[in-house]
Parts: sequence; structure tokens; C-alpha cells
Amino acid sequence: MSDEKKVQIPTATEIAEGAEVTKEMVQEYKTSGMEMDKMWITMGPQHPFSHGLWTLKICADGEIVTDADPIVGYLHRGWEKEVENRTYPKIIPMADRLCYAASMTYTHLYCMTCEKALGIDIPEKTKYIRIVADEINRLQSHLMWMAAVGTDLGNYTAFLWCSREREYWMDMNVRLCGARSTTNYPRIGGVRNDVYDIDPDLKDEDHSRFLRDLVRCCDHFDKALWDIIALIDNNSTFISRMVGNGIITREQCANLGITGPAARGTGVDFDIRRDDPYDNYDKVDFDVPVLTACDSYARYMIRVEEMFQSTRIIRQAVEKIRALGRSAPYRLKVPQNIPAGRTFCKLEDPRGESMMYLVSDGTDHPYRLKVRSPIFVNVSSSKYLLQGCRIADVPVIMAMIDMCLGETDR
Amino acid sequence: MAMEYTEKYRDGRHKTWKDLWIVRPIWTTFKLLVKTTIHRPITVLYPYESLWNPDNYRGRPGLDFNKCIGCGMCARMCPCTAIILVDAPDDEGKTVSRPQVNMGRCSFCGYCAEYCPTDAMTVTPIVELAEYTRSDLIYGPRRLAYEHTTEGMKVKNEVTLYSDWKEGRETRYNFYEVDRPELNEKKCISCKKCQKVCPADAITMVEHGKNEKGRPILWPEVNSDKCVSCSRCIDACPKSALHMKEVY
Repeated sequence: MSDEKKVQIPTATEIAEGAEVTKEMVQEYKTSGMEMDKMWITMGPQHPFSHGLWTLKICADGEIVTDADPIVGYLHRGWEKEVENRTYPKIIPMADRLCYAASMTYTHLYCMTCEKALGIDIPEKTKYIRIVADEINRLQSHLMWMAAVGTDLGNYTAFLWCSREREYWMDMNVRLCGARSTTNYPRIGGVRNDVYDIDPDLKDEDHSRFLRDLVRCCDHFDKALWDIIALIDNNSTFISRMVGNGIITREQCANLGITGPAARGTGVDFDIRRDDPYDNYDKVDFDVPVLTACDSYARYMIRVEEMFQSTRIIRQAVEKIRALGRSAPYRLKVPQNIPAGRTFCKLEDPRGESMMYLVSDGTDHPYRLKVRSPIFVNVSSSKYLLQGCRIADVPVIMAMIDMCLGETDR
Repeated sequence: MAMEYTEKYRDGRHKTWKDLWIVRPIWTTFKLLVKTTIHRPITVLYPYESLWNPDNYRGRPGLDFNKCIGCGMCARMCPCTAIILVDAPDDEGKTVSRPQVNMGRCSFCGYCAEYCPTDAMTVTPIVELAEYTRSDLIYGPRRLAYEHTTEGMKVKNEVTLYSDWKEGRETRYNFYEVDRPELNEKKCISCKKCQKVCPADAITMVEHGKNEKGRPILWPEVNSDKCVSCSRCIDACPKSALHMKEVY
């Protein structure tokens, strides 16, 4: 705006004295005093763009967004205080409710923290079962995100196809844990049930139909994901909204503490599963997708590629479980009380790095349990993500950080 | 700009003619068109037919009234305090203690079925629980009954001892087979409360001499085969003489 040459409008006396009046002057006179002030627009808490209950206030200069201010806390349930009054096993169903899209990761993280505090190691088979469960949850979480991106950009077909594929993983979840999303599956020292006990093949004791179906699901999904990709990858609607939008640099990533696919889209080659492995992730072979473009499209690409890697991990983990056999232990007996101390544990969530900090005091309930949610940190960067973009780009840029309010507000 | 990504991650997979530019989406859509035309409907007419659920599906809890011993393990483990123990007449008219579930509070976590030592409490696939009033949501011990209980609904709680696993043994115990209450004889006042509350009749009071007033000194002795490690004796003990000896 400031670059434009201002037309000097002559005053009334000058015109009366015979000053020249051009068309531009008339135009300028008509529009002067009508420049728009910056306007704060409140999006949310009930808004089609916000997946969950949260508010995004954006400062719009015409069509351009100059500032943004996320407001979270509508879903605050006092989770961290609530768990202080519960015994350790009773916190596991509550940890499910932290993240409704990938509930297993938080339960897994909680159990890992307790095991670390107890100083025990868990059986190999449990580790692989947990990997399988984690990756199923990662897949369904990413598929839900992809469905949301589809609706955000007006592609309802993408939403339906992603939801259809997600159902297969939900069915696997149901068979593994007995519930679709509130899984309550990992336990301190093991998992709830053995994979061999699920729908056992009566003719062959050492054969699990669940593992067979899991591999079939992977085979089906690898093909089906290509169908979904065909809808989005070269679609000009998606490309024009995603490529070059929502740019955030590596330095900003480091300063703001952004983790997960959003950080890997800016060239940060870091994944806890590979660089600080937990639960036998070091014994399976997978790649960490990294792109350097820093924009929304890179984040989209990272997540899609992670889904391919997840099926790869599941296949390998299933092989390992089969090799260990039916009789291998899957659950250890653990003491009720956790010795006094401070424990810190972290894990790669579908959305970033989630961490838990447990202060135990030797009783059967925690003194303090702090949760570090990746989205709470990622959403605080919305100012830097949105600066300079257009209002119509806001939904897709914010969709790329995959909001999940359950863990953000706790 | 999109080429950068396609080179890195899509390269090597664009080999067939189907992957070319617009051909692949059209091919996908055409495939789906044919598939959906000849395939049977994948939706179900919900109230009339329902989806298949596996045996371990966690609906409302079910209870086998006669198998239950009233140990209160379900009420102890319930994270929502949905379960309380109530007095109910059994088949012979005797008053026994049985769980009552408030389905308005239940979070369907399945802990009651998992920690039940007698497999009386199970998970059931019933999810249609809508009622007109809140009091209708409270399921008494008789109402919790479920007829078609299968093996898969009795969630096992098998544990391996840490010491066993470290030595390479793979023996699995049920969780209630290992922990047993232990007595601190100095604190015991021979009040027999532990014997009265024991749901499995595992505690017998054994005489160990007489005290200075001439009354018998009775110490509880736990029958290890009958005990289900429900900790009721520990809670009932007025002098905290009993504690659970945990084995790992």
C-alpha cells in the first residue's frame, strides 16, 4: 500500500484558480478515508476450521493476516491434578482420554514412565506389541488428519476415502483392545492381552488370526493410500493452497520448540523413534522422512510418507512377534508402589514429542504427573505460521499442525 | 515447486501408465465406480442389523451371580467409582455381597472383568444402554447377568514374575495367585475381623497360647489356595497388623 504513488489532490481554492483535475485525483478523493484499519477476527471456539474447541484470533489487514493469537483452555479438565488422587493402574484409562485420536501413545508413554520409575525392563514381545499398537494409532491419527484436510479444502471425496481406510485400522484397534478409541491397552509392565489370545485359530494354536489380518490390512492400505494420494498430490486446489504457504524456518522451529512432522518439514532430521529409541524401535528398520521446503505441502508430504513407514514397521514387528511365539511373556507383575524419585520419559507422538514427568513419593499414587503436549507448543507458533498469509489459507495452515485439544488443555 | 517432493518421495513409484498425471485419478475413480456397482452394500441398517464385534469388545460389564464371591476387587479397581458392593439375596435366600454398577459413571475400561479373580465379571458386547431416567442406569447384581458369555469375554490377567522372566522362565500366573497377606504378630489383637470379611473363607484363626488374662491368642492363617489377594482383610484390620507381601 505504501509503495503506491500518492496523488496530491488540489484544494478547492486551487481548483477555483484553475488547477488541473485528473481522473486519478477524483478516484483518490472518493476512496480516501476508506482505508481499512487492521481488524481482529475471532475464529472459534465453534468454527468449521477449528477441529476441536479453541479460538484463533487473527489480525487481518485487508486480506493479509498480520498477527495471530491462539486461545486454548476450553477443554481443561484438571487432568494433572485429578491423577494425583488415583492409584497408578487407575491412571491408565485416564491417559487414554488425553488424546482421542491416538490414545495409545499417551497410555504407552504413561506406562513407560512408570516402568522407568520402577527400574524394570519389559519383555521383548510386549515391546513389539506396543510398537504395533502405536503404529496403528499413528496411522489412524494421520488418516483422521488427512480427512480433515480434505474437508478444509473442500474435497469431500478425500474425507470419505480417508475415513473408509481409517475404519480398517479402527477394526484392528477393536480386536486388539476391545474398544475403538479409548483403548486402555498398555499396562505397567506389559499389555492387557496377548495378541495370540485374540480370535485364535482353533486348528493351529501358534497361529493368530489377528496378526494375519494386520498384515493383510497393511497390504491393502499401501494400495489404498495411493488412491487417496492421487486425489491430493497433483490437485491444483491443494497445491495452490499448500505450496509456499505457512512457511516457518528451522531457526524458528528451534526457538519455538516445534516438534514432530512440522519440524521435519523444515529439514530438522530428528525422530525420537530413531535417535533416542524406546521399546525396540532400534530393532526395526524404517526411514524418517525429512523435507526442507518448510511449507504446508512439506508437512503434508511428511505425514503421508510416515504412513508408508508405519506399515513397514508393523510388518517387521509382526514378524518379530511371530518369531517369539505364543508362550513368551507379555505382562510382568509390578509392585503397587513406585519408589520415590523423579522420572522423565518421552515418546514420538503422531503430532510431535510428548513427554511425561513423574514425581513419585513411594506411595501408590503419584505426587505430580506433568504432561508435555506437542500441540500446546506447536499451536503457540501460529503467529509465525500465519504472518503474511491470506485469510483463506488459515484453515489449511492450522490443519497442518493437526490440532488435538484433549492433550493441549488436559 | 511440487516437483522437489515428487523427486524425493514419489520417484520410483511413477513407473506404470496408471501413475501418469491425470490418468491415475481417473483410473482410481473408474475402479471405484465398477467396484461399488457390483459390490454388496457395505453399510448396515443399524437398528435392524448391527456390526460384528469381537469377543473382547468392551460394552457394559456382565456378572455371573453364582460365580461371584463378593471380594470387591471390581469396586477397588474401578477408576470411576461406578461399582459399589450391595447386599443381595442369593438363590438360597442368604444375603450376600455383590457388585452394583452405575452405568452413568462407567467408562467402559474393562478393569472389573480383568481383575475379577473368579471370572464372574465379564465384558459384554452390549452397548445400547439408553434409559429414560438416571436411576434406570444403575444395574443391580441380577440385572448385570449376561447369558452368552464366551471365553474371550473373560479377560485374562496373566502375569509373569519379574524374577522368573529374568531367569528365562515363562511361567504365567493369574494375578491373584502370587500376593498373600502377611501378619505382624506383635500388632495383632485377635479380633477376628479379617476372618469375617474374607470373601473366600481363606482365613482361619489359629490359637497360639494364652495371654496374661487367660484368653486365647488367635492369629489369622491364610490358606494360600483359597486366597484371591483382594486386600479386604488388610483394609478391615483395625491395628494395621496385616500387609500385602508382594512377590515380583
